[in-house]
Amino acid sequence: MKALQLVQYGEIKDSLAFKEVSKPNIQANDVLVEVKAAAINPIDTAIIKGNLQSIIPIPLPSTLSYDVSGIVIEKGDQVNEFEIGDLVYSRVPQEQMGALAEFVTVNSMSVAKKPGNITFEEAAGLPLAGLTALQSLEYAGIKENDKVLIHAGSGGVGSIAIQYAKSKGAYVYTTTSTDNVNWVKELGADRVIDYKTEDYKTIVKDADIVLDTLGKNYTLEAFEVIKQGGKVISIAGPLDEESAKMFGMADYKLPEELTQLCNAKEAKYKYIFMHPNGAHLSEIKTLVEDEKIKPIIDKVYPFADSISALTHLATGRAKGKIVIKLS
Amino acid sequence: MEELINKIKSRIHLSAKAEAYFYSISKEIFFSKDSSLIRQGQTVNKIYLVTDGCLRSYCTDINGREHTLQFAIKNWWISDYIAIHNNEGATLTIECLTDSTIIEFNAKDLEEMLTLFPEYEAFQRYILERHVVSLQKRILNQLQLSASERYDLFLEQYPDIEKHTRNYHIASYLGITQESLSRIRIEKVKK
Repeated sequence: MKALQLVQYGEIKDSLAFKEVSKPNIQANDVLVEVKAAAINPIDTAIIKGNLQSIIPIPLPSTLSYDVSGIVIEKGDQVNEFEIGDLVYSRVPQEQMGALAEFVTVNSMSVAKKPGNITFEEAAGLPLAGLTALQSLEYAGIKENDKVLIHAGSGGVGSIAIQYAKSKGAYVYTTTSTDNVNWVKELGADRVIDYKTEDYKTIVKDADIVLDTLGKNYTLEAFEVIKQGGKVISIAGPLDEESAKMFGMADYKLPEELTQLCNAKEAKYKYIFMHPNGAHLSEIKTLVEDEKIKPIIDKVYPFADSISALTHLATGRAKGKIVIKLS
Repeated sequence: MEELINKIKSRIHLSAKAEAYFYSISKEIFFSKDSSLIRQGQTVNKIYLVTDGCLRSYCTDINGREHTLQFAIKNWWISDYIAIHNNEGATLTIECLTDSTIIEFNAKDLEEMLTLFPEYEAFQRYILERHVVSLQKRILNQLQLSASERYDLFLEQYPDIEKHTRNYHIASYLGITQESLSRIRIEKVKK
């Protein structure tokens, strides 16, 4: 089968090659998916550049990408939830990475039926960003009338997080640039803050939850806008001690400044590392079918143009997901 | 099952032997919500009569979107007749939208019924004609009525079905977007 593989770390244009590789085998708990569409995410470009070698060691060459939608064409002996012919979507687990290929093997625990009211391309754009949004806000215990600040509302995670938070009845603030204000408003955010003309710190007060998708200063500033006892959930800031332990960093301590801010506000800081989860994807399927969440697609590329798609992603200017159509 | 036999008897003379044979080829089965009776691509040799619950038949297009062909509630027949007639893989998936009870017939057994008891043919023809009428109406409505009119007819044809269906099921049956369906509903509330 044909696959787009990372052959060496470095610049996107120098590091990738289309290769003919053997069709993957399935284990008892796996399904083999004929890939209809795959989506790419910032983690893919970070992997290509070699920035994640210490946390995600992968053998070279490796087929890229995690987000997939397609059709189940084989299943392992232990798989009962899916049948041959089922239309599915998934965030492929790390050890099975390789959605940019004609076929990919996925542990069935990470798979869900795809929403019936959207295309394969739209479905492929949902898993990683959708799971990140859902798991972040669920961890924070989001509930009706919570005041939530979601940074970068036009991003892959932000655009879904806004819709998920609204489906839970929260009041949503989000930040974005002038060009994106209108379409981000249409996602349902109650107050869209144009960061080029407004200072979100003067607008957001006593938030119950801040979803920090940007890191750096934004992580620290979150404590200025949360209420006493609020929660700061980050996917881009420093690891918290519990997450660090998961990565084998037993002696890791939360940066002192962050500890002080947490203490001053009696707040909780948590770094969320998305984990593949079929049950969560089923929850997202229901929300999509009920139009509580709409996938936002920036552009669909044919498989042969995957390298251009990754180059486009690396500019950071995409409005919604970049998807690659396989067949 | 008794209800079906009575219905047949109200239209044709069914001998005791024919009735016994008919019983022998039918099987009452309970299916839980979300289970599938037929899946797109599979071989089909069964025809179903709904006695309780709600089913939906739909096809999935090349892009992965579902299009609803039919809902089936009590006393409706449902199957993939294209697959049976042409002896090819199913075009449709048939799923239960609620816990449902159906009477299942093997298509070949029903054919055998016609050979053994030709008097049954009149009832079979009645069912098929009713099915053709329903399909013709559906096509004509699709061609000439507005979305709002089609929605009204849908509610007439399937009373109370909205309790069991999702919006996208209905929108895909009417051939409109979910946004359009929401708009139509809002306009109806205003009237």
